Amino acid sequence: MKKILGISTLLVVICVATSVMNPQFLTAYNLQNVIRWTGLFGVISIGAAFVIITGGIDLSIGSLIGLTGCVLPLLIMQHGWSAPAALLVVALLGLGVGLTHGLLITKLKLRPFVVTLCGLMIYRGLARWLTGDQTQGFGQEHETLRLLATGKVPLPFVTGFEIPSPVLIMLALGVAAAVFLNKTVYGRYMLALGRNEQAARYSGINTDAMTILAYMICSTTAALGGVLFALDFNLIQPAGHGDFYELYAIAAAVLGGCSLRGGEGSIAGVIVGIAVMRVLYNSINLLGIDTQLEFTIIGVVILGGVTADELAKRWAASRRAAAERA
Amino acid sequence: MSSTTPLLEVRGATKRYPGVLALRDVNLSLQPSEVLAVIGENGAGKSTLMKVLAGIQGLDAGEILLDGKPIRIRSVQASLDLGIALIHQELNLCENLDVAANIFLGREPLRHGLIHEARAAEASRKFLQMVGLDISPRTPLHQLTIGRRQLVEIAKALSINARVLIMDEPTSSLTQHETENLFEVVDRLRERGVSLVYISHRLGEVKRLADRVMVLRDGENAGEISKQDITHDKMVGLMVGRDISRFYDRHPHPAGDVALAVEQLRTHAHPRRRLSFQVRAGEIVGIAGLVGAGRTELLETLFGVERPLGGTIKVRGEATRFRAPREAIAAGVALAPEDRKQHGLILESSVEENIGMAGWFRHRLAGGFFNRRRQAADAQAMIEKLNIKTPHARQMALYLSGGNQQKVVLGKWLALAPRVLLLDEPTRGIDVGAKEEIYHLMDQLAAEGVAILFASSEMEEVLGVSDRVLVMHQGRIAGELARSQLTEEAVMQLATGAETTTVSNL
Amino acid sequence: MRCSFVVGAMAVLLLSVSLGCQKSSSTSSGGGNSDSRPTVAYVTNGIASFWVVAEKGVEAAAKKFDANALVRMPPKGPGSQKRMVQELLTLGVDGIAISPISSDNQADLLREISERTKLITHDADAPKSDRICYVGMDNYVAGRACGRLVKEALPEGGTIMIFVGRLEQANAKLRRQGLIDELLDRSDDSSRYDPPNATLKGEKYTILDTRTDGFDNSKAKANAQDAIVKYPDLSCMVGLFAYNPPFCLDAVREAGKIGQIKIVAFDEDFGTLQGIEDGEIAGTVVQNPYRYGYESVRILAGLARGDESVLPEGGFLEIPHRIIKKDNLQEFWTELKHLLGEPDSE
Ligand SMILES: Nc1ncnc2c1ncn2[C@@H]1O[C@H](COP(=O)(O)OP(=O)(O)OP(=O)(O)O)[C@@H](O)[C@H]1O
Ligand SMILES: [Mg+2]
Repeated sequence: MKKILGISTLLVVICVATSVMNPQFLTAYNLQNVIRWTGLFGVISIGAAFVIITGGIDLSIGSLIGLTGCVLPLLIMQHGWSAPAALLVVALLGLGVGLTHGLLITKLKLRPFVVTLCGLMIYRGLARWLTGDQTQGFGQEHETLRLLATGKVPLPFVTGFEIPSPVLIMLALGVAAAVFLNKTVYGRYMLALGRNEQAARYSGINTDAMTILAYMICSTTAALGGVLFALDFNLIQPAGHGDFYELYAIAAAVLGGCSLRGGEGSIAGVIVGIAVMRVLYNSINLLGIDTQLEFTIIGVVILGGVTADELAKRWAASRRAAAERA
Repeated sequence: MSSTTPLLEVRGATKRYPGVLALRDVNLSLQPSEVLAVIGENGAGKSTLMKVLAGIQGLDAGEILLDGKPIRIRSVQASLDLGIALIHQELNLCENLDVAANIFLGREPLRHGLIHEARAAEASRKFLQMVGLDISPRTPLHQLTIGRRQLVEIAKALSINARVLIMDEPTSSLTQHETENLFEVVDRLRERGVSLVYISHRLGEVKRLADRVMVLRDGENAGEISKQDITHDKMVGLMVGRDISRFYDRHPHPAGDVALAVEQLRTHAHPRRRLSFQVRAGEIVGIAGLVGAGRTELLETLFGVERPLGGTIKVRGEATRFRAPREAIAAGVALAPEDRKQHGLILESSVEENIGMAGWFRHRLAGGFFNRRRQAADAQAMIEKLNIKTPHARQMALYLSGGNQQKVVLGKWLALAPRVLLLDEPTRGIDVGAKEEIYHLMDQLAAEGVAILFASSEMEEVLGVSDRVLVMHQGRIAGELARSQLTEEAVMQLATGAETTTVSNL
Repeated sequence: MRCSFVVGAMAVLLLSVSLGCQKSSSTSSGGGNSDSRPTVAYVTNGIASFWVVAEKGVEAAAKKFDANALVRMPPKGPGSQKRMVQELLTLGVDGIAISPISSDNQADLLREISERTKLITHDADAPKSDRICYVGMDNYVAGRACGRLVKEALPEGGTIMIFVGRLEQANAKLRRQGLIDELLDRSDDSSRYDPPNATLKGEKYTILDTRTDGFDNSKAKANAQDAIVKYPDLSCMVGLFAYNPPFCLDAVREAGKIGQIKIVAFDEDFGTLQGIEDGEIAGTVVQNPYRYGYESVRILAGLARGDESVLPEGGFLEIPHRIIKKDNLQEFWTELKHLLGEPDSE
């Protein structure tokens, strides 16, 4: 809990500051939008966190979002598949990609960076080739399916504000992920192997299987994210859809306290991390700051946060050392 | 040898690594309730044999029998299931988890499919008690000292209720007190019918614990010693195959000018303590003290790893303020650090590069090009001088045995021909033969006028090698003992903080 | 102890906010409607020099018609366009002029706008939406004009490659179709669509392929280079988006094929105009982005004040294309420099 205190406070401070400077921030319309974005990006960030916690990295998330985002409408609209069948194929695609990454990384001992960097290029190219660079979408059809991403769930006793469905999906996924990570042996194994793979192996843990599992989780959530983004945008440009999203996911994980060295991180932190980024985007616009500065501000805030966190850690360590001596 | 069926038996074990025959036709037998010490020089194959038993490495040839029945150990899990637990030479714990989680890693108690944290903590308590650790099982591991982590590792091995417990150099980072504690644990386990394999380079420990000693040399059985025949000389003889009677052979030299003068130095670890002392050229000064006394911090500050909080450091008469090790090196100061894997070596680099690294600035040709040939020559010279066991100079440091890795670290600094040599635990994990060589080397360097300041937790070594000993206690210098005053009691008394700063009353 | 995380991040945030505010206050104040002037927004489909010219028009009109105008250029395709529009809606702007990236698939977004404020389209139309009017050019007609430029440059016929940022945008589609139909001497039918990747053979002219780059400059240049390599006897390159022709010109120059490969352009990138002056580019079809911006703001500001008279007849305000060749280049260029220079000179 203490771990996400800093980032949570940051979130609250940004929210309060923005709403003081522009009360429009708190309108139901705006909050719903920010929350929907948080949900969409949160889904993929949760998956990325698993890979990061095992000490790996997945750069192919964005391209996989592009690929699955293209395959779904392609199958449904152009090949006339039923939605469940198409969703199944997309899920299998995610699982298969993750399995492949995991096998290459554990069995052939290739670096995760290299494997997923190649993935980044391969899936993007495939998406463009499969679609002939044609924009994909569902037009005005499949409204029910699209509700997965565009739907809103009314709250009891509250009018005017409804919860966007992606955030519910993210929360469900987040709870499952947190339980998995903290309460099951598999999560424990991932934490262990992320920090000291040899120790985990010498404790009789099948570290390869755990690593593969982490990549499968990541790719599958990326595929789920791809579906949600596709349903939400309803406008999937094969060349650019999902471009850069892996970096948002990684940044959120880092903001949320994951260490790229592995073995550290919490799901709640990741969710708050992505929320911080989405709120920042929103407030930059609402406060009338030049939108050209979006990336700069977000980059600087992440850097500032991580720096402050590191300094705080050192300070705490020296305090503890002093206390031990006393 | 024995009439009863051995609990565990290894026959004809052979294991080849690329370029090295680590085990050749090795036999081992372990009786119930027996403590078998396995000794041998660095790289003799001790750890390899144990890794085979723990399911980490497979054998190229040979068989393993448990209770007289042939078995196959295909994985760590299989080995654990058979009741064989290995405590590794290097710590193998996860700092990001708590103590209980480390103890039960891989065997977590479950409730409804989820980890039962409370039960794990409860069960851990018992094993922590057995190793004499009085800490909460929920303590995050990173808050523990190295010595305590080692005890956690032992507790972890105990927790599987092993029939065979293998300890690969368990005491190399323990304090005197923790070591004593461990011996008691070993005795208790033996009484309970557990068989132990105990690997150590500290022959005193072997003598104290072992029921039988098995010696490996260059991957082969070199002989066995039964309990009544265990003597220091016999062990050394079998291990080294030659006479090393001149173990602590010191040639006192006339001390030269003051090479290192420290006044009122304050370090980050103990900001309120002020340290003052001098080391002369040609002098070997030992720093004794318990773990946590501030020895490593002192050496690191002298080497510019950490900046001093106050005070002055003079190297050969010149006041210095090293902001980084590179400045210390330029001034002729070298430090062989305590933790070789983290600070001493780049494990994925070759032996040659590791030795050459600190001297790269000297291997520069005109225009900044790198003189590989010179590095290779320097490295080869060191490999020969220190007798480093490696198939060739381009072997990755990762694949060397622990002791040989330590020699590479030393070689790296000796290649620079420093004027002030700082050594932190110079012989940790090093076999007797190599120890002798290193002591010899220190003696020789001193004769050449190098000022040597070394920290060590091994009493024998401190007593045997030093011209003078500084004893540290909780960040301050509790006292100074000249060679004539050196006794184990005197050192211990100062190290444990018995309030005496003058030595005259000893 | 974690408080310092917040302190650090906040310090940085505040700093950047104050920096950002300082800069943005000079152009247009964002956010709330603190004054009585209407606030209108002009949303582009990406970032390009073309849109910088449009922005000048927006600024000029904002001054003339006493309005706040916010310009938003989405850096990353549909996702960021959607987000920026939503944020404008949150700000409660009085009207939005948008160049939809793909009108068909963005029906939801356009509906969201039209439900909350006044929606007009510019540059690319969305006829099926509830937009009040469209400000722009008839891209199909402009495409045909471009085709005539190609015919002039290659009277004997030849092979042609088309380069474009995104083919899914209505304006790109129509331009390309107009060009193809003109070259193949087909009748006027703007609803026709020839898929890319298929070679189209006419009597004299063959359209080899259409290459897209997704607004990625390096890609645009590589596309041009690759085409020259792949088709050694290529006779003409047509760049349909503003940045395409200069890259084509670069590639042709590097290959030493100036004169051998003709270049026909769209829009008025500086490099394109220079190319025309140097005789390396045959000519260009220009739109008038300045007037897109200007007219969009004029209409939105009027609508915000309840003045329906600003609306064009039939909901379409045509800003006709122009053909720029060497003979009328100077005149156009001076005008353009004047437009771009004017707001800065005061
Ligand atoms: N993974 C490996 N790959 C290649 N060679 C190895 C590997 N592990 C060990 N060796 C080599 O096998 C030999 C035996 O090493 P081992 O670690 O068993 O020695 P040891 O007796 O435990 O020595 P020490 O006392 O220094 O720990 C050494 O020469 C070592 O360099
Ligand atoms: Mg060993």
